[in-house]
Amino acid sequence: MKELKDYREEIERCVRCGTCRSVCPTLDTVRRESHCARGRLTMIEAYLNGEELGERYLKYIKECTLCGACYTSCPNEINTPEIILSARAEYVKKKGMPAFTSFTLKSLLEPAPLTKLALKVAAKLKSLFFKSTPFESGLVSRFSLPVVGEGRLVPEPADPFFLDRAHIRRLATREDYGRMKVGFFVGCGVNYLLPSIGEHTIRVLEKAGINVAVPQGQVCCGIPALSMGDSETAKRVMMKNIEVFEQYGFDRIVTSCATCGHTLKDIFKVVLSDEQGMKERVEAFTSKIMDITEFLVDELDYRGEKTDKRAGVVTYHDPCHLRRFQGISEQPRKLLEESPYEFRGMKNPCRCCGLGGGVSFTNYELSMKIAGRKAENIKKSGADVVATACPGCIVQLKDALYHHDVKARVVHVVELL
Amino acid sequence: MLSEPVKRELTRIVAPENISFQPEDLLCYSYDATGRRYLPECVLFPHTAEEVSLILKMANAEGIPVVPRGAGTGFTGGSLPLRGGIVLSTERMTTIEIDADNMVGVAGAGTVTWDFAQKAESVGLFYPPDPTSLKVSTIGGNIAECAGGPRGLKYGVTKDYVLAVEVVLPTGELIKTAPGKTFKGVVGYNLTGLITGSEGTLGVVTRAWLKLLPLPEEKRLLVATFDTLERAGKTVIEIIKAGGFLPSALELIDGVCLKAVDEYAKMGLGGVGAAIIVEVDGRREVVDIDMEEARDICHRMGASSVDVAKDEKRMKELWSLRRAISPALKRVGSLKLNEDVVVPRTEIVELIRGVEGISRKRDVTIASFGHAGDGNIHVNIMVNKDDPEEVERGEASVGDLFELTLRLGGTISGEHGVGITKSDYIGMELNRDTLELMMRLKRAFDPNNILNPGKIFKEEGVGV
Ligand SMILES: Cc1cc2nc3c(=O)[nH]c(=O)nc-3n(C[C@H](O)[C@H](O)[C@H](O)COP(=O)(O)OP(=O)(O)OC[C@H]3O[C@@H](n4cnc5c(N)ncnc54)[C@H](O)[C@@H]3O)c2cc1C
Ligand code: SF4
Ligand code: SF4
Repeated sequence: MKELKDYREEIERCVRCGTCRSVCPTLDTVRRESHCARGRLTMIEAYLNGEELGERYLKYIKECTLCGACYTSCPNEINTPEIILSARAEYVKKKGMPAFTSFTLKSLLEPAPLTKLALKVAAKLKSLFFKSTPFESGLVSRFSLPVVGEGRLVPEPADPFFLDRAHIRRLATREDYGRMKVGFFVGCGVNYLLPSIGEHTIRVLEKAGINVAVPQGQVCCGIPALSMGDSETAKRVMMKNIEVFEQYGFDRIVTSCATCGHTLKDIFKVVLSDEQGMKERVEAFTSKIMDITEFLVDELDYRGEKTDKRAGVVTYHDPCHLRRFQGISEQPRKLLEESPYEFRGMKNPCRCCGLGGGVSFTNYELSMKIAGRKAENIKKSGADVVATACPGCIVQLKDALYHHDVKARVVHVVELL
Repeated sequence: MLSEPVKRELTRIVAPENISFQPEDLLCYSYDATGRRYLPECVLFPHTAEEVSLILKMANAEGIPVVPRGAGTGFTGGSLPLRGGIVLSTERMTTIEIDADNMVGVAGAGTVTWDFAQKAESVGLFYPPDPTSLKVSTIGGNIAECAGGPRGLKYGVTKDYVLAVEVVLPTGELIKTAPGKTFKGVVGYNLTGLITGSEGTLGVVTRAWLKLLPLPEEKRLLVATFDTLERAGKTVIEIIKAGGFLPSALELIDGVCLKAVDEYAKMGLGGVGAAIIVEVDGRREVVDIDMEEARDICHRMGASSVDVAKDEKRMKELWSLRRAISPALKRVGSLKLNEDVVVPRTEIVELIRGVEGISRKRDVTIASFGHAGDGNIHVNIMVNKDDPEEVERGEASVGDLFELTLRLGGTISGEHGVGITKSDYIGMELNRDTLELMMRLKRAFDPNNILNPGKIFKEEGVGV
């Protein structure tokens, strides 16, 4: 993986103009220079120069949501989120990772049979730790749980997990692929928490003449590990995914997770940049990746049935990883026009929901404050349904709307088609 | 070094979560847009004027330097803690009230200019001062530097909108300079005017009463390109002379800037000699007529292309391109000697010729852009920071530029202030007695020289 020192030239391009202050969701919430790209880059530069920095350095670089708003607004095109990922990895390499985080991460991302069993037992005991909520189907933690925190609304875990379902297992290969040979990259959000997105993805694709395959053996995309600075685990899961998908010779690989999409398209190249003999394989894999909304619109020119748009009012939230890093913003909106819902935009649709970059785990309060702004804008839009294109955003928005008492459903675009 | 009792007392004044002595935080408050770095010993985030007053009383008694800071976008080092001490950040002082009937807004010093202007706009009112940094900079910082922007030509600059300020003096007293909600007032000296533009050396502004105007109904904008900067400059003068209207913005951009910013914005302006942006605002019936007139003048003056923005989205794009110029110049040279001289409007062409002469004579790249409509041009001398000989030539060019500017009847800074980067040159513009009077004023406000020491004036003659 590219090392932090390889970014020195890019870091030194910062002229301290402060433009990034105007777009950073963490600055807006915390109102301190430590919470914007300019401050973070200054600290990272000092770290590179061997200056003495303490605990707060780690805290500040961890409290970045990696939303990329600074990157798109920076006149000198400094990719701060990528630099921050590298800075986290560098820190972990030097100082090691807290044992607990390291253990949970590894066991979740590369599930061994035992972890799966543990998760299942936990699912059965959930009423002990969570109370269910009447409005959104979900669970609210009763007390401060490790990783989850207190008072957080989380979707009820999938039971069984998406990839373990018998009918999904049968889709590991297809006899007849239809118009094109396409594979589905599922991702953790869909697999563990929101399997219905996976079901709908398959349904919509079939409707459009694509019999998608769901390869078994695929694992996490690697970004959670990398966000925590664990580049070794990230590298391993990434390699594993390439191995699994390579065997098929797919024309396209689709995902319905904006974060996975960005990781598979861009971050794979960063992390695997110096793996011997991997260049072509990485290139071949990454060039096939498409977000489901991108695929449906750009490749298939998807059309829904004509309706009178009476199903309700839908608004759309742009996931950072879709709009900023993949340049996809028109496609999901086009798809919503094809749904039975009336579309109504919200203010600041591309503002970060606050989940990303691990912030929702490192500082849940900050994460929820950022999400609070989003909840306000959703409320003002008057929509009954919020559609987006990332399971992460969905989990976060459900939590935020629950806490702000906004009664709107949160779904993935494909669920409305 | 701050003593333990001082640290304890400061902590008590603002509460532990609003103070930091940690190296990471000190680092974050050590720089501004000059890119220079001086570490403070402590950063404070007060919420109220009363807290600011207690902080200054204590600092004054103990002789601790205090540097007020807004968003740190200053171009002359105003918010740099040259001698350590305290950085007093206004980031938490962000209240906004709009009195629509009286057309007055009241803003906390740390309010971002854009947020204030948006709030006014939401009730149909208009806050014109628009430094290009307006999405980041604060009202307090704008007042301290008397910031201006493209709209200065028609609407004036920050000082034309400040009705009153609440200020904490370096000795700790809290004063208010005028009633605030009246547009007139001549009782006593004009302290509002004195504080505005004082670069954080006379007092800490905590709140400001700002004049608002009715929001113009419509805007139109065009971009015209030219083969030479001189031709573009002549067009600027012609528009004001012959147009029969004052544009709400009249910006000039040279080819070096266009090339640098186009690498980022990719709008196809890369290979052009120079460009101007003309914006007009007002009633719907008039803006189209004015725009027509501006377009004709551009054609008559030999523009290579004239492009009227077709909608609001395009206007926004063009303005964000304009805003990106200054930071994007990093692509041209690693060190930017950034000057913002002003000459009487009719001398713009002379200034442009002179700058081209300096560039040739000293063999340095110079990138110019700015609010040419009011004679204010940002002249950026771009050099390689690792080449001491080139840096020297760059610095000599700055001297040449100031001499030229003063010869043309201009001033060496239109809006960025003196700070530390121009204090060497202040004597070129102001005579000895004028300077001495200014220093006497500083001593009257700040007998112990604790508030932003070392700014504007070189050391000699000031207080301690
Ligand atoms: C990209 C870019 C474009 C710019 N364009 C323009 C432009 O078009 N026009 C223009 O005029 N300027 C421009 N500037 C310069 C700068 O933005 C202005 O000087 C602005 O007013 C500074 O505001 P700030 O909040 O960042 O203040 P800071 O940089 O934090 O401080 C500036 C000075 O104000 C003092 N100060 C801050 N707050 C207070 C307070 N509450 N009370 C007393 N003193 C205080 C500080 O001590 C310091 O001396 C630009 C800067 C950048 C980076
Ligand atoms: S916008 Fe870019 S150059 Fe400007 S301060 Fe932020 S990171 Fe630095
Ligand atoms: S990636 Fe987002 S949260 Fe992180 S510094 Fe940039 S704008 Fe702020």
